[in-house]
Amino acid sequence: MPRPAAALAALLLFAIAPAPAAAEPVYQHLRLIAPAAPGGGWDQTARVMQQALQSAGIVHTSSVENIPGAAGTIGLARFVTAERGTGDVAMMSGLIMLGAIVTHRSALTLHDVTPVARLLGEYEVIVVPAASPFRTLADLIRAFKERPESISWGGGSAGGTEQILAGLIADAVGVNPRLVNYIAFSGGGELRPSVLGGQVSVGLDGLAGFQPYIDAGTVRALAISSATRLPYLDAPTLREQGIDVDLENWRCVLAPPGVSTADLQRLEGAVKTMVESAPWREALERYHWNDRYLGADAFSTFLDSEEARVIAILKKLGTGGDNAPTGPYPVLVLAGLAIFGLVAARGLLRGRSRAAAASGAPTSETIVAWKAIALIAIGITVDVLLVERGGFVIASTGLFWATARAFDPHHPTRDAIFAVAVSVGAYLLFARVLQLPLPAGVLAGWM
Amino acid sequence: METLTALGRGFASAVTLPHLAWALAGTTLGTAVGVLPGIGPALTVAVLLPITFSLDPTSAFIMFGGIYYGAMYGGSTTSILINSPGETASIVTAIDGHMMARKGRGAAALTTAAIGSFVAGTLATIALTFFAPPLAAVALRFGPAEYFGLTMLAFTTVAALLGNSVVRGLLSLFLGLSLGLVGIDQLTGDARFSFGIPQLMDGIDVMILVIGLFAVGETLFQAWRHGRDEEHIITIHDFTGMSREDWSRSWRPWLRGTAIGFPLGVLPCGGSVIPTFVSYMLEKRLSKHPEEFGHGAIEGVAGPEAANNAAAAGVLVPLLTLGLPSSATAAVMLTAFQQYGLQPGPLLFSTRPDLVWTLIASLYIGNVMLLVLNLPLASVWARVMLVPRNLLFGGILVLASVGAYSLNRSVLDLVLLYAVGAVGCTMRVFDIPLVPAVLGLILGPLSEQQFRRAVAISGGDLSVFVTRPICATLLVLACAVLAGPYLLRRWLPEAAAT
Repeated sequence: MPRPAAALAALLLFAIAPAPAAAEPVYQHLRLIAPAAPGGGWDQTARVMQQALQSAGIVHTSSVENIPGAAGTIGLARFVTAERGTGDVAMMSGLIMLGAIVTHRSALTLHDVTPVARLLGEYEVIVVPAASPFRTLADLIRAFKERPESISWGGGSAGGTEQILAGLIADAVGVNPRLVNYIAFSGGGELRPSVLGGQVSVGLDGLAGFQPYIDAGTVRALAISSATRLPYLDAPTLREQGIDVDLENWRCVLAPPGVSTADLQRLEGAVKTMVESAPWREALERYHWNDRYLGADAFSTFLDSEEARVIAILKKLGTGGDNAPTGPYPVLVLAGLAIFGLVAARGLLRGRSRAAAASGAPTSETIVAWKAIALIAIGITVDVLLVERGGFVIASTGLFWATARAFDPHHPTRDAIFAVAVSVGAYLLFARVLQLPLPAGVLAGWM
Repeated sequence: METLTALGRGFASAVTLPHLAWALAGTTLGTAVGVLPGIGPALTVAVLLPITFSLDPTSAFIMFGGIYYGAMYGGSTTSILINSPGETASIVTAIDGHMMARKGRGAAALTTAAIGSFVAGTLATIALTFFAPPLAAVALRFGPAEYFGLTMLAFTTVAALLGNSVVRGLLSLFLGLSLGLVGIDQLTGDARFSFGIPQLMDGIDVMILVIGLFAVGETLFQAWRHGRDEEHIITIHDFTGMSREDWSRSWRPWLRGTAIGFPLGVLPCGGSVIPTFVSYMLEKRLSKHPEEFGHGAIEGVAGPEAANNAAAAGVLVPLLTLGLPSSATAAVMLTAFQQYGLQPGPLLFSTRPDLVWTLIASLYIGNVMLLVLNLPLASVWARVMLVPRNLLFGGILVLASVGAYSLNRSVLDLVLLYAVGAVGCTMRVFDIPLVPAVLGLILGPLSEQQFRRAVAISGGDLSVFVTRPICATLLVLACAVLAGPYLLRRWLPEAAAT
């Protein structure tokens, strides 16, 4: 596909070319890591940062890398190990990661990274569908106190902000938080239809997620988790209604462990300049984010107190306990696998013993086949061992060459030329054009 | 009438020379990036998003339309040509599409995929234009119990995918279901079967299984057979596309695929994968020659390819009318809309009608562009089959490794990829079908989650599955699909004989 690829390259160069900036940028290239899939809150924050940093001329170029999984703890593990001491990379994080670290009992915590700045906060809103019998929070709490399990609280992933809030509310009204019938959804996108359609009794989500529906009157806001009333939302706070809870889902920027003081100051400075820039201000307005900027020192102090609060409530909720894999489903599935595996194996063995009796010694064809498989296996081993140590290009060249030789040993030079060309081409396409980083390895200086 | 005027205005702002150029650029880029294995539509749109930052909203939206449909289409090309689906929605296409390519009929397979995508995309966009709000209201009546019913119905499609032996087909299905157990239990946050390896906590990515089983497994299997059979030389029979017979066998599957894909796309359940399976099963059941399925039946390409594109348009219904992103791709689109201060939701059509109708108009245009671009390319792509086999397989392995690595940037994913590849090769050697495993991995966690969610909401009462009418209907339908052919044969032996 030479033509589409060329067009792609040209267009991307055109698009990525930065706006002319007044001052010299602080970074030539800053990598932002969103420890979540595209489309979520951290991804959104990272992409807004990317745009703001570039258009304010703070960085020359910037890229967003997604490392999704386990509410950010996989990204955290990767960030701590692979980026240690790297000066030009930052990761998004926030309250949800604190919760996930406890729930998933992650070996690494936010003490293993370097806090840079708290950026923004979002309040949580408690809503019911327009047709719900609960007119006020008091109605809801009355029913909840009577029969806690009859109220289903729909929110984001287990151990996240919404479950923390549900637990805090239960605790404050004197219901054992373990009795909260919390229904976890993978995110606001999956949760919203269940709330709109009245599948769950109550919905909990960031205000931005539900604001359009509140405005349209399809859901009713019973309470907001802020300490004081908000000018743009006609709903009382939890405190006003006698529940002594306030909670803000904050997001922050982290640097890897082991960065030098100079690198940390540079990153902190760049973030500070960004939060004061016009594009960032506009984004805050657009997404209803609250400006919650805190510099590195103040943020570290805040982080410690917030961590204590989260750990305390999640203990009461009983998430992330020592529950072994539960339920009949896994047992059923594994039993099915074992049964069909045995039946199939028996059928195959019968066929095999008949075939073996017919043929006898291994034929020359079998030897050829095993040779080909062995060559590819060598290529694969080279690839796995070398991809991060030696770099993608070297590893892939080995893989390609070995595979090509397995099928046709007569053209070693031609195959080698193609191996290098394909590997370099794939590297340039992914790492340079599409901005999906691949390890450069020992050729880092050249690529 | 009002809709038509609004749509007309949308077209008026979309049809200018520069806008058409952006639409072409969008479809080209979307297809080109979507072709790469492992880069699904969501990542394609996310990666290409920065390009639109520098454009005015109208041009940007027109380009989106192109990128979105282009990305959805791109996956089928590699499916057909090298048996490596670029994304989950084109797994089913690989079954018969690749067999067609092996028989030298790659151009016909690509053409029926392209025209099917166009027909389905256009019809579904028309449905989106006129019926979006009522459809979205129906979608809201689906709760966890109904989704569980839907996954059960989807499970029955496995009956069409079992291959030569029921036992081996079910073994494959249970292998997929078992792999689906790995990872964090979404309802409690507990990690299951992850053996303390953090990367496994998020489960096994469907893309790893797909690329591993298909691309890597196929390469290893060909190496295994290398030297056994005489060299299988592919001669390309036709560079021109579809014959008269292909047309007459394709048009009904296109329409049926659209009818299945669009409504299932509106329901936020597994994106555009399930409709492809349902369409495949339906085509096999309705076909006069079901024995051709699995050996290059053109209906097996035409139906699913129409279904996945219709579903792609269906996904836009809840997105535009309710602001609900029901797939990863839609979530990325939502982010993109917000960059322009556009908040999809119940008020979108009244607050920013200009942009919405421009976007819808650009979907029509994107569809036409896709056809214009891909019809001539079909015969060019078909020549990929003429590349020397050793270079082709070397390239496939390199692309597969890039795709797997860039999912999470983890070497563990590479190791998993090759391990799955070895399993895929073994399964081929022992004639165990591959697709049921993928179906199991996709549907297993989904159905378990929805089942437990439904039970939790009802407070432990299992009767919700029969008392909720939509759910009960779906479950009865699932039983009918499984038992129907058997009962028909029993009760009406004379009908089956004819």
